[in-house]
Amino acid sequence: MMRDLLVLVAVAAGMYAMRAAFLVVARPEPPAPLARVLPHVGPAVLGAIVVPALLAPHGAVTLAGTVPALLAAAGAWVLWHRFRSLPIALFGALALALLTTELFR
Amino acid sequence: MRAPAFARLASDRSPFRRALADSATVIVAYLPFGLTLGATLASTRLPAGVAWASSPLLFNGAAQLVAVTLLDGGAGAFLVVAATLVATARMLLYSASLAPYAAEWPRRWRWLGAYLLSDPVYALAIGRFGGPGGGGGARERRVYYLTVGATLFVAWQVLTGAGVLLAGVLPQWLPVDLAAALTLLLLLLPMLTGRAAYAAAAAGGAVALAVTALPLGLGLLVGAAAGITAGVAAEAWRRAPRTDPPEGVRDA
Repeated sequence: MMRDLLVLVAVAAGMYAMRAAFLVVARPEPPAPLARVLPHVGPAVLGAIVVPALLAPHGAVTLAGTVPALLAAAGAWVLWHRFRSLPIALFGALALALLTTELFR
Repeated sequence: MRAPAFARLASDRSPFRRALADSATVIVAYLPFGLTLGATLASTRLPAGVAWASSPLLFNGAAQLVAVTLLDGGAGAFLVVAATLVATARMLLYSASLAPYAAEWPRRWRWLGAYLLSDPVYALAIGRFGGPGGGGGARERRVYYLTVGATLFVAWQVLTGAGVLLAGVLPQWLPVDLAAALTLLLLLLPMLTGRAAYAAAAAGGAVALAVTALPLGLGLLVGAAAGITAGVAAEAWRRAPRTDPPEGVRDA
């Protein structure tokens, strides 16, 4: 038990070091090469998380998993553009996902 | 007729209230994921208290899953630490991306802010700081970031704790993975403000999908690197004609 806890503490220390690496030594004006890269970090990382999660929900592209997820994503996109509201878009999309999951089960 | 409380909070200019409103939506969206993660933690051979302690220590669902699953399987300490750090190396990118917006904060708040950095906190913060107005001045950005971080941190402890206690009675139809993915999609959409952003997101997603079989979440890192490269290339392509105009045009 104590060994498992100590391993988790070691993981936490490593993660904290990564989280703090740039934040703590932050400068208002980053070096030019870094400044060119930083604006693209958010879209690139979130795209890399979201696209596989929607197209291959459980690590593989399947009719039962992919189609409801894609329909939900399309619904979220439409609702967000229409209402600019995260709650409306999210819960509308989840409702759509629950309905279509039953259809493709 | 008065607007609903949630809408009033969301339209408020106060960064504190705005942060609470934005956090509330994310908390509801993460409800199924947090509960199910807690139940998963409770199903391992680790004592429930130790498994749950990964929530305040790591504050990252993916990291918790990797670390606790490996510990449950009897993996060595070095492997657990290395695998979890590789799986969450994107925190380095988040830290670099947020740094310019936090440069004027007192150092103690930056130390604390680093502890609260996670996927939804980053997505909310960068969406606001990178948008019109830049999220206000340094103080407004600090209040917004720390309020979002603290609120989501507390909520995560409660959700995963409830999941540990409710293990075995949660309904199977909860759309656990999809809710988290849709939330991040909706946090991504406001960032898509130009061709470079679309290129970064599309390339990042396509490459991450192509290499999804890589272990330890490396596919995400490879995808992110490809996306950043595509974004930089698209931006350079967009700027190229302006930075190097033909002689005749300059002299005209």
